[in-house]
Amino acid sequence: MKEKLSDLYAKDGTKTVLASVLSILIGLAMGSLIILVVGLANPNLGISGAWDGIRLTFAGIFSTGRDAAGALTFGFNSTNLGNMLFRATPLILTGLSVAVAFKTGLFNIGAPGQYLMGTAATLVIALSIPSGTMPGVMVWLLAFLGGTLAGALWGCIPGLVKAFLNINEVLACIMTNWIAANLVTWIFDGSKFRNLVENTKSGYIYKTTYALTQVDGVWTYVDGKGVSTAKMGLDKIFPGSQVNGGILIAIAIAILIYILMSKTTLGYQLKACGANRHAARYAGIADRRNIVLSMAIAGALSGAAAALYYLSSNTEFFWSTYQSLPATGFNGIPVALLAASNPIAVIFTGCFMSMLDIVGLQLTNLTAYNEYITDVIIAIIVYLSAFSLMIKLFLTGRKKRRAQAPVSESGGAQGAPAPEDGTRQEGGGQA
Amino acid sequence: MEADNIIEMLHITKEFPGIVANDDITLQLRRGEIHALLGENGAGKSTLMSVLFGLYQPEAGQIRKNGQVVKIQNPNDATALGIGMVHQHFKLIDVFTVLDNIILGAETTKLGFLQKKAAREKVQALSERYGLKVDLDAKVEDITVGMQQRVEILKMLYRDNEILIFDEPTAVLTPQEIEELMETMKSFAKEGKSILFISHKLNEIMAVADRVTVLRKGKCVGTIQTKDTDKQALSNMMVGRPVQLEVQKTPAKPGKTVLEVQGLRVVDRIHKRDAVRDVSFNVREGEIVCIAGIDGNGQSELVYGLTGLERVSAGTVKLCGQDISRATIHHRSGNMSHIPEDRHKHGLVLDFTLEQNMVLQRFREKRFQNAGFINKGAVRSYTQALIRQYDVRSGQGPVTVVRSMSGGNQQKAIIARELDRENPLIVAVQPTRGLDVGAIEYIHQQLVEERDKGRGVLLVSLELDEVMSLSDRILVMYGGEIVGELDPKKTTVEELGLYMAGAKRMTKGGRAQ
Repeated sequence: MKEKLSDLYAKDGTKTVLASVLSILIGLAMGSLIILVVGLANPNLGISGAWDGIRLTFAGIFSTGRDAAGALTFGFNSTNLGNMLFRATPLILTGLSVAVAFKTGLFNIGAPGQYLMGTAATLVIALSIPSGTMPGVMVWLLAFLGGTLAGALWGCIPGLVKAFLNINEVLACIMTNWIAANLVTWIFDGSKFRNLVENTKSGYIYKTTYALTQVDGVWTYVDGKGVSTAKMGLDKIFPGSQVNGGILIAIAIAILIYILMSKTTLGYQLKACGANRHAARYAGIADRRNIVLSMAIAGALSGAAAALYYLSSNTEFFWSTYQSLPATGFNGIPVALLAASNPIAVIFTGCFMSMLDIVGLQLTNLTAYNEYITDVIIAIIVYLSAFSLMIKLFLTGRKKRRAQAPVSESGGAQGAPAPEDGTRQEGGGQA
Repeated sequence: MEADNIIEMLHITKEFPGIVANDDITLQLRRGEIHALLGENGAGKSTLMSVLFGLYQPEAGQIRKNGQVVKIQNPNDATALGIGMVHQHFKLIDVFTVLDNIILGAETTKLGFLQKKAAREKVQALSERYGLKVDLDAKVEDITVGMQQRVEILKMLYRDNEILIFDEPTAVLTPQEIEELMETMKSFAKEGKSILFISHKLNEIMAVADRVTVLRKGKCVGTIQTKDTDKQALSNMMVGRPVQLEVQKTPAKPGKTVLEVQGLRVVDRIHKRDAVRDVSFNVREGEIVCIAGIDGNGQSELVYGLTGLERVSAGTVKLCGQDISRATIHHRSGNMSHIPEDRHKHGLVLDFTLEQNMVLQRFREKRFQNAGFINKGAVRSYTQALIRQYDVRSGQGPVTVVRSMSGGNQQKAIIARELDRENPLIVAVQPTRGLDVGAIEYIHQQLVEERDKGRGVLLVSLELDEVMSLSDRILVMYGGEIVGELDPKKTTVEELGLYMAGAKRMTKGGRAQ
């Protein structure tokens, strides 16, 4: 009996994974097709250019440039891999943010807003503490926690509105996204955090490596006095890349979220409220508190994503965000969908999505294609991942038909899936 | 003899993981007869009908129509063969009008445009001919459940079906509507249509069916003429052992008061008026107090107020001497078990497994958690014990997703969970609704047993038989008030009916007026 059960579990899990892998493969195949068509239509590219493009689409992460003869070469590329991990860090966290909400029956489309609030809090804290007032680790920690907390508070708003006024969280999230965009622009507009040291970068905020320092009695921002995330030895494994310890923190958080959701009473309550709010209430679980709490956790994860991204000090923040929302927030949705909201799987789908980014760069650098081709691939995969449930059903249906094909007197039906409408499973059921 | 049968299902076998839902079942439906399919929850009735309707493919067996073997791959094949089905849960689109729902999938079109006028006339004609009153232009979400069922029936008639399947059609209807449905079914049969009537209500089967096929645990027990049998014999066939249709119990020995309600008022959330008006009563240890009444007279709101699902606007509720009128649900559930009216909305998290549902209130207890981490082993063994003790049947034991269980077993799971918490007060709201005789007998026994253990039971029921046979005291609710307190041994169904209809009431002193 026990073996049968684990078998069934494995089957369902396998189907989920297969569905995601299939969406990815179809996305890559469609991308290849587009590359082929574009290549054939463009005399500069031709069939050989298209072939290069297709090879890069599938294996761009292992691309090592071109050899003397101009042929593509492949091999271990520490820069690509390291950059992939660096870019995966915020994606894993926003993916978790969306996945946690999904698991508790909520759709967190507010990740971009939470991410922005996290960004603002992180940068304001990191840049407000004059150098020398406390150890760098403390500054880093305060900035990280501040960003996370800001995301959590921003996530609370749609949660509160949903719990107490029963207003759909999607609407509230979209509104809080734009409020965040304008709020952040307003906070930084005219602030002392705008990068005035490097004239060309006045549209940006200082990186966190800058800190207020007294030079000849005047407080100015000086590079190198601030903080950035420790490399934790990853720069030794992936030399020449932007990777830092943030990816390890993101993976640790993913594991913590997995434990929280599947092993603890808190996760049990959150899931119960998500699956059936009325039953949770009936059982004495505080449904309102739990809705707010799951949105807060989701927001905290998005805030943490922003904190790790900007504390890496690899990138500067363009502060005038009032008419654009950060794509990292939205990309959390496909990351969560492809992972079927499993926190551990989010680690891998996050890495996969950032790999596509790298592939896009490789295409731009090594061929006449531009990186937007990978946006097309991502778009296709996003569509397919939304359909991944359908693909899963399709896989189920195939198995069912195969099992039914040899209708014999003995009639084996090991492949038949559990019927989705349980009232029929045992027949005659009153539901 | 052969030519008599319009549909034959021969040696049908259908399996699901962990269960054989149909095991070599043969069913023959004659032209112009009403053929009942009787069986407990989980006996395989719905599965068999789903096979006939093309929703499932059997592993073995064949279906014949008029003696010809037919293959029914999907509901479209079934419709083409003239088979129509009214599902237990209606398959209607809420935001469409009645007419749109009826013609959906069988629209008459001209150049791709709908020809609704002709359709309307046809539906109207059918509606008048069979006395199936519907409002063709109303949206389905705005009409009553009874009318929704008439829409489903008209859908079948509109498609000129000659074989009509009714899957538990009376479960959702009021007594008057059931009466009407029975008449409609008889008139169909008179016109030569053949009817398969799935039910586990013996009264209805005896009243309307010509023949009955009885299923038990996926197997066919036999087919008999209703005129050659009676209710007792049928229920014995269905359950497989002699069944007690009457509740066996000794006189109650009430002890001290468990629940004391004083001047309770609860506001109806939708209509913003008092649904419960100044209600006072008490429940003592070792007695079953039954709230009787016609649906919608404030019983649901009374229970919401007692259990904390709704705020009380005035009055006090004392449980074991403690005022709980403002207490949280969590606090109340420490002394109160609640078998809710709506088992899908309140009773269960359908997408959770059985074991997750079994600890819905208790997961915080020390034995089920350790520093915030759920003790899965303890939850599993606890669930296994409950499954054994209360005979909850499911495909995969503790890890079965509750949604996939039959209604009767879902209810048993709730009852197991609530009774095992061993609280001094049990609030049971329509605990046997939609269940078969075997399960009803079992639940009644359990409630009597709990009473004999010294617990107070507050039962809310709409079924007069249940009220009369199970309760030790009857409180009748009408218009949000308690209009009478009766002793089931000294009253009659007729008198009870008068109170329920509001034709008779007692003064506060307890005298009939």
